[in-house]
Amino acid sequence: MAEERDSISPTKIGFGILWSACWTGIPIKAVFAVMAMTMGLVHFEGRFGLAFLMLLASPVTVFSAPAIMAIYDTHFGEGIGLPLIFGASIPIDIWALGLVGRTFFLERLKKEPPHDGLGFSIWWRTALIGTLIMPLLWGIVSRVTDTAISASHSIADMEVLRHIYDTGLPVAERIGLELTVWGSISSAVLFILSVVGVSVLGQAIRRIAEDCRPAPENYQGLVTRWDLMRVPNDQGLLLASLAGAGVVFSLVFWTILPVTTPHPHECCTKPEVHAEPIYKPGDALNKNTQRLAAMAAQIEAMEKQKPETKGQKEKGKGKPAGAAPSDNSKP
Amino acid sequence: MDMKHSSPAVIPDHQPSTSEKVLAFFDERLGLKEMQAKMLNEPIPGGSRWAYVFGSILLFIFAMQAVTGTMLMFYYVPTADHAYDSTQYIIHEVDYGWFLLSYHFWGSSAMVVCVFAHMSQVFLWGAYKKPRELLWLVGLALFGIVITFGFTGYLLPWDQRAFWATLVGVEILDKTPIIGDFIARFLKGGASPGQMTLSRFFVLHVMILPAALMALAGLHIFLFRVAAPAGPFKGTTEEIKAKTDYFFPRQIWKDIVGMAFVFVGLCALALWEPVVLLDKATPDPGEYHPEPEWYFLFYFQLLRLKLFAGQFGQFMGAVALPVIFMGLMVALPFFDKDPERNIFKRPIALITWIVIMVVIALFTVAAVINREFLD
Repeated sequence: MAEERDSISPTKIGFGILWSACWTGIPIKAVFAVMAMTMGLVHFEGRFGLAFLMLLASPVTVFSAPAIMAIYDTHFGEGIGLPLIFGASIPIDIWALGLVGRTFFLERLKKEPPHDGLGFSIWWRTALIGTLIMPLLWGIVSRVTDTAISASHSIADMEVLRHIYDTGLPVAERIGLELTVWGSISSAVLFILSVVGVSVLGQAIRRIAEDCRPAPENYQGLVTRWDLMRVPNDQGLLLASLAGAGVVFSLVFWTILPVTTPHPHECCTKPEVHAEPIYKPGDALNKNTQRLAAMAAQIEAMEKQKPETKGQKEKGKGKPAGAAPSDNSKP
Repeated sequence: MDMKHSSPAVIPDHQPSTSEKVLAFFDERLGLKEMQAKMLNEPIPGGSRWAYVFGSILLFIFAMQAVTGTMLMFYYVPTADHAYDSTQYIIHEVDYGWFLLSYHFWGSSAMVVCVFAHMSQVFLWGAYKKPRELLWLVGLALFGIVITFGFTGYLLPWDQRAFWATLVGVEILDKTPIIGDFIARFLKGGASPGQMTLSRFFVLHVMILPAALMALAGLHIFLFRVAAPAGPFKGTTEEIKAKTDYFFPRQIWKDIVGMAFVFVGLCALALWEPVVLLDKATPDPGEYHPEPEWYFLFYFQLLRLKLFAGQFGQFMGAVALPVIFMGLMVALPFFDKDPERNIFKRPIALITWIVIMVVIALFTVAAVINREFLD
């Protein structure tokens, strides 16, 4: 048994704690994120998946995400809500890492976990390692991906591939080939660097465990202990608190949720409504009488012009064929 | 104990309250306590796990889809003349209509994702093996219903995206030998998609499919309770016995957290990308490049390959490939009779699953790149 626990690799230790802690904290962090989104404090644009991953791995990305955004001039979201969400995730992550860490120490490492501060102890190490490694990982993977994309374009343009099809490599095949080439390379680099990062974290956690004394119970006893660790002392109070928090969040959510769509598009913009002037029958009648009088005068003027125009046309008929026509459009 | 109850000298500890009396009244007639014991006291070998939450989450999403769908039906008009306008009205005029529609839209995607996750978990855990073959088969039928739900619901807004995605889908179905022509004609209800198509898709979406899903989900749960949970695929008997727990409260708690997370996630997606319709459906695609819903994009991209060009190629891609795949899925518990459930000792199963995942991911991304290329 002792050999088995000593043989747990740092990668397994790091992954075992990080994976569980990230998923333990995300439901609570997601509530804060949704509230911030509802209030319009944060916008995730087209990189929602990346934003989710950053929030999921917040023990690692809490300081590295701003560093990446600053160094590489990239962003997966904007708004004051972003630092607020990451700020709120710190206590949640400390709690989650503590809970998962204690369980892991007892069940997998068979060590007595430290009474206090295990969560914080793991959290600051994780945040520090993340701050050092993540920007490096981002830079290397981006550079490798760019190079691999260029290389994959060259491969797709190779003469050998042109002979497969008469008209060159079809679009779907070309995209598939290029994606396979650069996707495999960048995934491999991402995987290796992630494993290195997780392994470094595992070594840091192992050092904490080295100072702990072995747990005395047998397996059944250990399971019972870590199982009871997850059960709150006052279950009624916990359930009431959670239900209360749920009700409060629901009320706040429906209060701040926009009633109409926050994304109206051009086809459905409402026409601007102008106030109609007050209808005055007397004015309208006078206006119509004036308009009629003006039109009658206009017609009379046109009637008078008619004989003059006729006389000009008759004069024009006597001119030679090549002569320029007179300007009949003039009144 | 009997003496205590039979003796008139014994005074009961307390008088039952009104709620206890009401509960006792219903319990006497409905057997509530027995039902509760049967439903909640199910032992889970190896204890509760997060990997087991997908079934409950699926039921939750379906319930939410039913609720939001019913609310949308108060305003939606299933006619070719008014479907588009009524959907626009829901988005732009009805209070919170945009949110309900967007939640419903993303809920359908979540359902497909969770079905896929649930099936992957069952496959990797080897939980389809004897005596759970029927459970697997009913699960496959439910998978088909969920996919059909997405397909029929896609047409209802009656915009260009809906119209052309449906047309492409129906044309793929048309290539099925013997029954393809009948299915295509039945779904379209005419030479080209129109009022009859919309009516038929609407009836399928709001009446036939929900009834079928409820019936099969009930059967699925019944079979699950008869066969009992499979438990973890690795661990010694001592470990599994030490961790074995009842369905209540640990698994229930995990299920509730999972449901809450999915609810919050769907709210986030609805806020991030609310539903926006394209132009009203017309028989001319114009600038629009028809494509199906995102979870079918990998298959759509696969069919673009030269390999699947021509009549034979189209038949192979559109009909033979999915039919063979589903046939293998149906036959899986009957030809894989090895009782070994540990996925790390079933290399063919593990490699097959990884290959399927990689192909789906690769071709989905390729379809997105291809979309940018076309635009």
